[in-house]
Amino acid sequence: MAATAYRGLFSLARQASKTVVPRAGSVRLCSTELHPTVRPVNEVQKQTLSEFGQYVAECMPKYVQKVQITAGNELEVLIPPEGVTPVISFLKDHTNAQFTCLADLCGVDMPSRGYRFEVVYNFLSVRFNSRIRVKTYTDELTPVDSICDIHKAANWYEREVWDMYGVFFANHPDLRRILTDYGFEGHPFRKDFPLSGYVECRYDDEVKRVVVEPIELAQEFRKFDLEAPWEQFPNFRDHVASEEVPIKEEK
Amino acid sequence: MAARKLTTGLTGLAVATNPHHTLGVLYSKILRCLQKMPPDAAYRKYTEQIVTERHNLVKAETDVTKLEQVMNAGQVEEVIQQAENELSLARKMLEWRPWEPLVQEPPSEQWKWPL
Repeated sequence: MAATAYRGLFSLARQASKTVVPRAGSVRLCSTELHPTVRPVNEVQKQTLSEFGQYVAECMPKYVQKVQITAGNELEVLIPPEGVTPVISFLKDHTNAQFTCLADLCGVDMPSRGYRFEVVYNFLSVRFNSRIRVKTYTDELTPVDSICDIHKAANWYEREVWDMYGVFFANHPDLRRILTDYGFEGHPFRKDFPLSGYVECRYDDEVKRVVVEPIELAQEFRKFDLEAPWEQFPNFRDHVASEEVPIKEEK
Repeated sequence: MAARKLTTGLTGLAVATNPHHTLGVLYSKILRCLQKMPPDAAYRKYTEQIVTERHNLVKAETDVTKLEQVMNAGQVEEVIQQAENELSLARKMLEWRPWEPLVQEPPSEQWKWPL
């Protein structure tokens, strides 16, 4: 499997050079056919990724809810919060995965959903030169397992998500605020946090120090309707953001 | 005999003194751990496949440089590391039991995008 994955990625690189680079010797390519602004779809890479997604889902049917490919070549594994530790350990320690590098960890807030927060983990496998994204969901009260024991890099990222969104990470060694000022209250990246904040600070010449006081605005916050009356991207009216990889076995 | 390897060139990764013995021990430990899983678990099936394949290569090839070439998974020290990771994962897997049915269905519209 490791060897096949290697060969697959190698042939993929060759394929890419074939499709992307117009060769000087061949027939001159017309600019209307080439679409230089549209990213070419790499079918081989997509095939490899969806096969790997199915492999993960088959190995851990208890924890994988959905597997999808977004933006043509980004594999996403969607899991419930219970599966964070098992799935990420599997991706790190399994011989065919080896996603040993945590590239990024962040949160997303979508208040209209049942579980309003998403936690997104991005991994890089140096061995197989591929990337994967793991997503899970939570709300204000449900803790998510910390992955500090698995990836040391997660420590500060999780503190950041805690600071900005108020997602609680269970078993984190040192869950403090990291980005906001001393004595700050609230989680600024939440959608219900006001744009102007709750307090303002200034230097007060009478008491000779910086004072923090509730914000006073000269006028009410105004909401402008900036949307144009015409449709912005008619070509993307039926655009599907992601395509699902089938993971249920047919019997 | 080929010149003894002086360094792996990777920080923190020392040259293995007796890689064949180490790998043999690790692989048999992994296989013993996998025996405890149900036989139709996909994780057990695939891991057994990888481990037996590598175990046979280790048994067949005595030269370290050639072994690294046929295995095609980096230097032998890295292969040892991979086997150690796989062993600890297999032991944790016994506890997590990931071959069971889905623990929680997502709430409807949870993964819908764009909103």
